[in-house]
Amino acid sequence: MEPQTKRWKGSVCDTDSWVPYPVLSDEQSQEVGLIEAFAAPILDKKETSRLVRELNSVYPLSGLQHIKRVRVCQKEGSPHPLEVLVCRVSDAPDMKVISIDSLLPSDGVRCNGLGEPFVVKVPARPPLTRPQFELASKHWPTSFHEDKQVTVALRGELFSPPQKAAMHAYMMSAVAAARAAKKMGMEPVGAVVVDPSTERIIAVGHDCRADHPLHHAVMVCIDLVARSQGGGCYSFDRYPACLTSLTSDAFHNEPDTDASSQPYICTGYDLYVTREPCVMCAMALVHSRIGRVFYGNTAADGALGTKFRVHSQKDLNHHFEVYRGILSKQCEDLNVPTAT
Amino acid sequence: MGTEEESRAASAESFHPSNEDIEKWMASAFDMAKDALENGEVPVGCLMVYNISEPKPSPFEMFYMVALDQLLDWCHHRNLDVKSVCKQTVLYVTVEPCIMCAAALRLFNIPVVVYGCRNERFGGCGSVLDVSSADLPQTGTTFKVCVGHRAEEAVEMLKTFYKQENPNGDQTISSLLQIFFLCIFSPPFLFVFFFVPPPFTSSNISWRHLCYKYTLCRASFQHHFLETLHKQF
Repeated sequence: MEPQTKRWKGSVCDTDSWVPYPVLSDEQSQEVGLIEAFAAPILDKKETSRLVRELNSVYPLSGLQHIKRVRVCQKEGSPHPLEVLVCRVSDAPDMKVISIDSLLPSDGVRCNGLGEPFVVKVPARPPLTRPQFELASKHWPTSFHEDKQVTVALRGELFSPPQKAAMHAYMMSAVAAARAAKKMGMEPVGAVVVDPSTERIIAVGHDCRADHPLHHAVMVCIDLVARSQGGGCYSFDRYPACLTSLTSDAFHNEPDTDASSQPYICTGYDLYVTREPCVMCAMALVHSRIGRVFYGNTAADGALGTKFRVHSQKDLNHHFEVYRGILSKQCEDLNVPTAT
Repeated sequence: MGTEEESRAASAESFHPSNEDIEKWMASAFDMAKDALENGEVPVGCLMVYNISEPKPSPFEMFYMVALDQLLDWCHHRNLDVKSVCKQTVLYVTVEPCIMCAAALRLFNIPVVVYGCRNERFGGCGSVLDVSSADLPQTGTTFKVCVGHRAEEAVEMLKTFYKQENPNGDQTISSLLQIFFLCIFSPPFLFVFFFVPPPFTSSNISWRHLCYKYTLCRASFQHHFLETLHKQF
């Protein structure tokens, strides 16, 4: 690891000027939400394990397995050090006056040892990220199965300096393509598809929508990747900045002879694009089985975080990781009209 | 039957195909789908009809097509503005367009889409996402959808297709929408473009395989198109 880091140190890119942040699913990004429940102070600490056992059988709190049943009393100087969760407010029987006796059926739980109930708010679903966990724990102790990678990614520290340097270089190619598009009067958007296992650029494309309303940079890139595998449906020869590396074996392979060993077009590949893809492009990336997507800036109609999160849409058959903020400054500058 | 001017203004306001039109054109779409099924292709038929509100359509004022690309070519040939043609075009298709296709239809400003059955797996007109009416000011215009015409028939055809295609299909057919994925249009082309998701046959369908399939499919649609025209006029 160390020598590699040194090698990259010499390269001329200010990888510190940008931070890649993950674009997580709705469940991971939204607050966990709260529901109301009854809790009661435990008057006699020695009764705790019996009370928990008996409460568990009367009110099992199914669906709230992430909630810890007992917590240390939050108020300082309280005479009762522990509090126990009795039940959801929605599960409680109808009561005129809230009391511990009316909450508990007389035969199930001996309620000696419990104080008068009060209403608390508890997290409605398990926290998936550290920020969610920290917020949820403020309300009631919650268990958390941490996904370390997500935690590190949320801090913007998932990628090592050499990895960031490589990402920087790929995105620079996309920016260059975007500039070429801008010169031709197209939208200033560029995209690059990379095979991370060989660190080779497979295709570079830019927006061509002045000629065809569907030729967004990502669509152009996908078609170029297909081209590199002997497929593809369009010719982008008149755009010198739209390139694909034609592998020699793509020509040796007769179409369909070896189809079973061929993955979908973009399987395992990374896409770098200067601006967040639209719905059409995002779904095309699902269809072509992209591995990961890195983009510079968000877009008003973006479908990988802004308007939709197509990459983590539950019902779809392919999901992928998305990171934003790569070279965000350079990508943002593309939108500045050039003085003529 | 008010004046022609009036009806034209009204049709621009609330451009919507009549029940008769829906019946007629969906029948053509279903014929295409059946054709595809007989040829071992995914049974989805799709056509676009332009200017249906004209009182007396001549063969030259109408077209059906499966590809937005063809629509582009058609417009360029006749020196017509693509946008204004699209605004007067209805798309008829036997299965709900996928999310990508729905977005493409928005980008082409197609105002109305009539489809048969829903596509629970990829549908972009309400089943998985609702792209058709979403607030996306930079992604073309919203379009109206008209759902359910001969839906069961469309599902039956897909079932038949997947029974042929997949020897283990029987258990899975019950959860039928699990196993198919099709979409109308394409990244590079508005074609009928399909692949079957894992764990069934996805691994052996590559992109270029799709492209070949598409080419075949388009050819058969074109053939069908000519035949239909021939019969009609």
